[in-house]
Amino acid sequence: MKTHTLSSHIISYVLLFCIGLFLVTFSIYYYFTRSTIQETTKENAVALANNTVNRIELVLNTEERIPEIVAKMLESSFLDRDSLIPFLKSILKNNKNICGSSISYEPNYFPDKGMFYAPYVFRQGSKIRSTMLGNENYEYAFMDWYQIPKMTQTPYWSEPYFDEGGGNMLMTTYSVPFYTYKKRERTFSGVVTIDISLEWLTKIMSTVKIFKTGYAFLISQNGTIITHPNKDYVMNQSIFTIAKENNQPGMRDIGRQMIKGGGNFASADFKSKWHPGKLWINYKGLPSSHWSIGVIYPESEMFASLHQINIILICLIVVGLFLLSLFTVKIIRKLTSPLKHFADSARLIAAGDFNVQLPEIKTQDEMKELYNSFSYMQKELAEYIVSLKDTTAAKEKIESELRIASEIQMAMIPHIFPPFPDLPQVDVFAVLKSAKEVGGDLYDFFVIDGNKFCFAIGDVSGKGVPASLFMAVTRTLVRSISDKEISPSVIVSTLNKSLSSNNESSMFVTFFLGVLDLATGELRYSNAGHNPPVVIRGNGDVIMFEKTKYIPVGLFEDFDYGELSLQLAPGDKIFLYTDGVSEAENVENKLFGEDNLMKVIGENVKASPRDLIHNMEVGLAEHVKGHTQSDDITMMTIVYNG
Amino acid sequence: MNVLVTSSNDYTIVTIEGRIDATSSNEFEKSVMEVIEEGNTKIILDCSGLNYISSSGLRVFLIALKKMKAIKGQLKLCNLQPVIQGIFDVSGFATIFSIFPDQKSAMER
Repeated sequence: MKTHTLSSHIISYVLLFCIGLFLVTFSIYYYFTRSTIQETTKENAVALANNTVNRIELVLNTEERIPEIVAKMLESSFLDRDSLIPFLKSILKNNKNICGSSISYEPNYFPDKGMFYAPYVFRQGSKIRSTMLGNENYEYAFMDWYQIPKMTQTPYWSEPYFDEGGGNMLMTTYSVPFYTYKKRERTFSGVVTIDISLEWLTKIMSTVKIFKTGYAFLISQNGTIITHPNKDYVMNQSIFTIAKENNQPGMRDIGRQMIKGGGNFASADFKSKWHPGKLWINYKGLPSSHWSIGVIYPESEMFASLHQINIILICLIVVGLFLLSLFTVKIIRKLTSPLKHFADSARLIAAGDFNVQLPEIKTQDEMKELYNSFSYMQKELAEYIVSLKDTTAAKEKIESELRIASEIQMAMIPHIFPPFPDLPQVDVFAVLKSAKEVGGDLYDFFVIDGNKFCFAIGDVSGKGVPASLFMAVTRTLVRSISDKEISPSVIVSTLNKSLSSNNESSMFVTFFLGVLDLATGELRYSNAGHNPPVVIRGNGDVIMFEKTKYIPVGLFEDFDYGELSLQLAPGDKIFLYTDGVSEAENVENKLFGEDNLMKVIGENVKASPRDLIHNMEVGLAEHVKGHTQSDDITMMTIVYNG
Repeated sequence: MNVLVTSSNDYTIVTIEGRIDATSSNEFEKSVMEVIEEGNTKIILDCSGLNYISSSGLRVFLIALKKMKAIKGQLKLCNLQPVIQGIFDVSGFATIFSIFPDQKSAMER
């Protein structure tokens, strides 16, 4: 399973971190750059508007001076009535922006000239012509250009208009009131006007560009569009009519601010058919004429450069992250490539190949440490396995020897049942279960002289090999002694003498030996410190033999062993056992005990020797409940059939 | 298995606690032999805390008895629990060891 490699883990963490870092950096960068751009744009737009206003004002102010000077001249009677037309002509000749000029007197100012006196000079083609204004159809004294300066007593810029007679030019008229002294009183006497072509204004305005499509426009003090890239608007629409047509109250509000002469830089609170999306507007009033100039541009263009930079930046980062991933993969693969090798080596070592080649490590880092540990492990493991093999071989040898010893030991005791098929007077069954491979328990039985049945059971102190050797000696001695003797006490005494001499290890054997006269049923026995056997009478009585006063054999060379006798009737049984039975322990160290032993016997008084021993084994198993057998267990049952 | 050696009225008292089986008999043998080799001639084995003895343990008792007999010393047993007394009775060892009900009576005789 290699669905997730170390490198993919590390890369995913590194990438996640880098992306996070980038997002934070980018957001901060974007925020600050955006506000910087906005600020810079504002400054530019304001400067642009101011600059444009100044350019226009420069022209207008220059032109304003002319009628003002004329008015002063008239007031001081510097000009006489007949020189007015040549004077005006000379003004036109010297001022290309001026298309026409008049000095319009109050009606009936000159009673001899009739109602109207207003010499007017104007350009027609390249010629300069003159005429007199005023007749019944054109009573100039009621015109705005005349009325407003008269009433306000201040100069007045008229609303721009198309001069249909003079070449379809956009024009505006500047009217300055003039005064003369009548009866020493300064009295309003008429208006000096100049008609100015606004072509230059349109030119100036058309040079104002901001960003890609941003433009400037000019409105009059009524809101009429004076200049606009869309020629259809010029003089035909006002900012308010456009606002109404497009249902944009925000545009109307801005229009109101503009005609009040205010100035501001703001995001436009309106939409335009010209450019969908958010717009920004900057406007400023012209002090002299009360017109207002507006500079408008789309936000998308304002931030276009930012967006372009963003795209470049994102591309760079994506490429950068990709390269970083590649680089990281390479580095990690390079650094961790020995790990896979180590894993393979470990698998081979586990399979037993201790000479497997480890990956070569040239660096002096953790990988080198791993290499050192690994090769140390390899070496130790190899040595350990060698010693383990030796130990195992030695152990197996001992075990096999013990197994053979066990077989030899088992062969020493009778193990074919029934042992005497042609001897109906007696039947025997016995088991011996060693706690270890070999044990120190023994039983034996044989027939002497054809009518004496000799049997013995014994338990050597301790367990294992020493006990088994002592057991073998004991068993051999018993057989050889009983060749010559039939008295149990003599056999036991002789055995004791042989075992006691030179018994440096102080090992001893508890030993019970009985000789049953098959003809009479008399049992003579000698008990050397062995657990008292149990006699089961044919009528069901169960009696334990008395406790012995004789010590186990092998202790004191000159100890005297006596013998006792017991009369058996046909059907009587004798149950013999070692302390492995009565002292069998369970997990709680509770002994099986003589009580349980007697109980099991009591339940099996009629059972055959084989069944009795089998049931005793079952009882023992129930008691110990699987607890490890700690001592050798031996049981023997003899039935006397008479 | 635990062995505690104390002295009282010329007697060296070896108090045995726990079990003496095949596993602990070697340790027990070593402890008892040390006491004998130190030259103590009057030894009482207090078996009040002894609750199990295997044939390997009995062997140690016998070795101790033999050694003490060889140097004509005294080895007395006291405070045998009924189970231990039973084992001594069954094996006939009760007939070759001097067994007393308590330390006091062991010292008196």
